[in-house]
Amino acid sequence: MNKIQNDDKLRYQDKGNVHMDFHGATNTTIEFIIKKYGLNVMNDIFMKVGKNVYKDIHEKIKEGNIQVLAQHWQYFFDREGAEYNIDVQDSKIVLTVLRCPAYEHVKKISGEVSPNFCDQTIKTNEALCEGSDFIIDTEILGEATCRQIIRKRT
Amino acid sequence: MIPSDHFTRFYNEVFKFLEKQGEEDLKLYWLEISKNQEKHTLELFKNKGLKGMYEYWDHIRLEENCDLDLTLEEDKLELKMNVCPSLSKVLDNDAEPMKRYCDHCAGWIGPIMDKVGYHMVYDVIDRNKPQCIVKIFKKKADALKAEKDAKLLMGWPGKETDNN
Repeated sequence: MNKIQNDDKLRYQDKGNVHMDFHGATNTTIEFIIKKYGLNVMNDIFMKVGKNVYKDIHEKIKEGNIQVLAQHWQYFFDREGAEYNIDVQDSKIVLTVLRCPAYEHVKKISGEVSPNFCDQTIKTNEALCEGSDFIIDTEILGEATCRQIIRKRT
Repeated sequence: MIPSDHFTRFYNEVFKFLEKQGEEDLKLYWLEISKNQEKHTLELFKNKGLKGMYEYWDHIRLEENCDLDLTLEEDKLELKMNVCPSLSKVLDNDAEPMKRYCDHCAGWIGPIMDKVGYHMVYDVIDRNKPQCIVKIFKKKADALKAEKDAKLLMGWPGKETDNN
């Protein structure tokens, strides 16, 4: 895997221990919101996370800096002990998640994972690229595995 | 994946949506989170009482990187949160913080305390500062007495009104 250069400091760079059970609360939240308010509301919340919480990444992608997303992926997947690869190419970056720690942890503690669990990734990615020249294709390959490709829109 | 490190900022977005729907919507969500948290706490609290609660929050203190003092006494457990990582992250956020973010904590813990028969006094002190004091008592009379010293007392779904 290419080591991503971290010239720009990430807006959020958490340190210390990682509380994996938060993924269980995310799963509960997804189920609750969809059941009570519908899928569109859940997706709107994820879009707000992408555009507002991750405003810094969103703005940088709009400026053409997609490396920042690779830095973000690397930093947080490393913190959670994921198995993944990041392939930085000239015009695109490919993240392949071989073992998603969030999905696996929810399965371990709850037994069942919401069928919409990965929407947090799909919709947040969509928001990160909104209004930019880039697009992220998020392909779910199976349980706890996906591929995310950020590339120029055609 | 929204990293677990960023869950509280996601949580904050959920609260903002629910607050717009109304107080009942927020309470229903806290109860749902409470039910989820029962998996980690209910048996422990039932079986070991205050000692079990101490064990749970001692684990949370480490795992969530809290600056938290825990004091276990015969009839009381006190949690003195000096720096709450949850609210700290919500305040250090490019998205706007929900003004009543702190309320969720009593919102999920309170119903569990009611189920296991303990009496909680949750003093948030100031919703804009990442600190609070939680006291959990065996005896209701002790809790009622402690409530009088609270600066900003939190309620929760189902809290008895005579405690207010």
